[in-house]
Amino acid sequence: MVRLQFLGRTGTVIDDLLNDFLAETAEILAEAGGALVAWEADPADRAQLDAIFRLVHTIKGSSGFLALPRVTALSHAAEDALDQVRRGNHPANAALVTGVLGIIDRLNIVCAALGKDGVEPAGDDSDVIAALAEQDSTTETGYDVAGVPLRRDDDLEAELQSWRSIRVPLPLLDSVMTGVTDIVLARNEFARMLRDSGASPTVIASFDRLSDSIAGMRQSVSQMRMQRIDKLFAPLPRIVRDLAQDMSKKIVFQTSGGEVELDREMMENIRDPLIHIVRNAIDHGIEALEDRVAAGKDITATISVSARQSGNQIEIEIRDDGRGMSPDVLVAKAIASRAITAAEARTLSVKDKLELVFRPGFSTAAKITEVSGRGVGMDIVKANVEKIGGVVELRNDEGRGLTILLRVPMTLTIISGLMVRAAGQYFAIPRGAVREILLESGDTVRIDRVGGGELATVRGEQYPLLRLEKVLGRETSDDDDVDDRALVIVRPGQGQSYALSVAAIHDHEELVIKPAAPMIMATGLYAGTTLPDNGRPVLLLDVQGLVAAAAIDATETGRNHDQMAAAEAQANAARNAAQLLLFRDTNCRVRGVRLSVIERVEEVPASALFESAGRVQVQIGDEIFPVHTANLPEAEGSLKLLRLFDGQSVLCYPIAEVIDIVRLPDAVQPSAAPGLIAGVVLVSGEPVELIDPFWLMAQYAVLDAEAALNQPLCRLANDHDGWGGNFLAPILRSAGYRVVSDKDVVEEAPDVLLCLTDDGASCAHVGDEIPVIRLRSAIAAAGPDDETVYRYDRQALLDALARRIGGGRA
Amino acid sequence: MEKLYLIARIADTRVALRSRAINSVVTVGIPVEVPGAPPHVAGLFALRSRVFTLIDPHVVIGLSPVPVAAGQRVIVVDVADHGYALLADAIEDVCFIEAPETRVAGKLLPGWARVADGMIEHQGASLLVVDPSHFITLPALKAA
Repeated sequence: MVRLQFLGRTGTVIDDLLNDFLAETAEILAEAGGALVAWEADPADRAQLDAIFRLVHTIKGSSGFLALPRVTALSHAAEDALDQVRRGNHPANAALVTGVLGIIDRLNIVCAALGKDGVEPAGDDSDVIAALAEQDSTTETGYDVAGVPLRRDDDLEAELQSWRSIRVPLPLLDSVMTGVTDIVLARNEFARMLRDSGASPTVIASFDRLSDSIAGMRQSVSQMRMQRIDKLFAPLPRIVRDLAQDMSKKIVFQTSGGEVELDREMMENIRDPLIHIVRNAIDHGIEALEDRVAAGKDITATISVSARQSGNQIEIEIRDDGRGMSPDVLVAKAIASRAITAAEARTLSVKDKLELVFRPGFSTAAKITEVSGRGVGMDIVKANVEKIGGVVELRNDEGRGLTILLRVPMTLTIISGLMVRAAGQYFAIPRGAVREILLESGDTVRIDRVGGGELATVRGEQYPLLRLEKVLGRETSDDDDVDDRALVIVRPGQGQSYALSVAAIHDHEELVIKPAAPMIMATGLYAGTTLPDNGRPVLLLDVQGLVAAAAIDATETGRNHDQMAAAEAQANAARNAAQLLLFRDTNCRVRGVRLSVIERVEEVPASALFESAGRVQVQIGDEIFPVHTANLPEAEGSLKLLRLFDGQSVLCYPIAEVIDIVRLPDAVQPSAAPGLIAGVVLVSGEPVELIDPFWLMAQYAVLDAEAALNQPLCRLANDHDGWGGNFLAPILRSAGYRVVSDKDVVEEAPDVLLCLTDDGASCAHVGDEIPVIRLRSAIAAAGPDDETVYRYDRQALLDALARRIGGGRA
Repeated sequence: MEKLYLIARIADTRVALRSRAINSVVTVGIPVEVPGAPPHVAGLFALRSRVFTLIDPHVVIGLSPVPVAAGQRVIVVDVADHGYALLADAIEDVCFIEAPETRVAGKLLPGWARVADGMIEHQGASLLVVDPSHFITLPALKAA
């Protein structure tokens, strides 16, 4: 589901945002004040300085999109001063801290008023900003707190109460969650004890009732923490709009997957990274208008943010079609900023080079803008995402755009997990991804070794087989009984499945999942850690990641045939390799045509198309080809044409863009009547209309190639003055005859002879079988028996020709 | 608090760690292995219903890994909201050191040079002052 966000939203969303901003800012200001004082005590503490800088930067960023100029100006000033210190241009001293504290106090006052009235109060902040700037320029001035009132926490707290929304602190939610977690764990243990002790049915019945209500409670607590990701996307359109305006860029912003639900804590942690990434995309990713034109791109850039659920992870993809990142530029910057040495740079792979962007203090912007480019961003993005057990992935397409993928676990809450054993230790698999559990030695399972890989066939269905020990790079434990080995049929995502072979199945339990350390998440094998009631940590397997680690194709399509037939079909398909060119036609429909009939794709200016004799034609170079279109294109600019070639003639088919080249599926649903569309095929689950090149060529070729062979041949005799060649021949040719004159030497016997003089004798040599038409120059016929035709009577002439040879095309 | 240091032997070397960087010192049982993890990850263990990642400093410094013995003491630290524990060969002392931290004099092995912040004089011996958070990443990963 893709929908365009209408930019400029209603007041209520902004109100929510404002409330969030105020609550957040109050927290940040409180934190920043404390941090500043601590930093003043130890100016060498770089981490503290960076922390304060980020706090101020966050306020600036948030205020920017809420259009709070005073707050923005104040935080910008503070950020600027702190940045000077970070860069070593200015020493950290008490005067500077005083100046920054002055700004923080003023921010508190402004925010308090903002909370009460809902609008930013009018006022002048140049005094505190100037005070800070002054501290900036002079060095040691000592303590001189000129007219800056000291901050009082209680003022702020009084104001907090007047805000309308209730923010439940996450720690409180967490404690409820932990409470439920403990109850669940205790219930598991209790259930085991009950089973073992052989309790009476009445006890078990009442325990079951308790169990049910615990399950219900667990459900509500999970829901309490879940939120639609829409809320995360809500501020983005506004940010994009404002920034695009500021920077005179044209940007279409799209979001999709807003219905995906995410744990609140996760949401809090990816809000800032998401905003940073979108801002970066606008500021650095999207080129200026003229650069886009020069690069042959659409002037309007696209930024799309989409969310989707994949197993128990949420993938958030932020894609732009800007310039992407240049590894070489990144390296040059890193060397210039002394983050790495030139020698180190030479050892880096392309991926390493790109990941330089995650270094603290790294900035790719050529100049610092108000928006971004201070190096706050990607390192924080990575840190925030990793904090919650997520992964940041870069997919760079230099010159064409950058896609940043955030993969975060859906929840930190309880999931139902299946405990399995492999290589002598336990692992958990999310129960939701498990479709079936079978014993490997069972009758319904057949395991085949095929070309080094393994296949499991369960009741006629085939699955690629993964052995967990092998994927994890471990040996099979000797303690395991072969008879215990089990297959878990795992469905990591839509349309994917595989069989996971494990040493034994243990049981299933309600598990509380916590993110693992970044380097463990980075293996791609695990989705988190959990603590079952025996107190030993257990790793939760990432069922999607296992597929990638084992490098298997887990897609289900085309799998469920008989194995031999499938292999044979595949071999055949590879030999024939019928490929399908997918394109979007000028009406935005996705269609396909066999690649082999395409000679090439031409890009021509719209002016190269012209209309003649009711048909649209195109001039390419010094040749003219028919174009399959009813109308001339209305738009200026260039046009893409598929050049179809049947070995003799060329036909151009206008398209909007080429999408892809895929294998032509075997199953074609033919259309009822012959026409432009030969039928419909399914390509990756989407119906695609298949163009019938045979029909298409037939529409246009009939006038040219085929006719050329069957056209009657007219011979012009006695054309002494050239009238025949100059005046008559063009008429005859357009009427569908071939014309030769006396002077042409032609082997083929003419179908008709046109004698251009009244003197019949001169045409006698031709022979009797060939009909002769004599043309006369006088209008009036010589007599009733005169069979000659007046040479300017076109209709009579054509009629006469048609009568004589019974052919031709009038 | 500022001058309080933990003196420990990690990766066969006596070092001083600033006490404010340290959460606690505990003993561990046999950790749970993490197949596929980087070599310096010695495993996982649970402490007060939290899961900690056990780091073998030997590997970070460039030595070969050392097996974890039951009851071994580890230094628990929090880095970027994740809990880690550094395997310690021995925990010697927690003490106030009045002497100032000084710049590292002399050339260290590359592994140590990366983790050392400075040196400090204590009871007639020079100790490296190391930052536990530097042990969390391997040099190769650090570059990424």
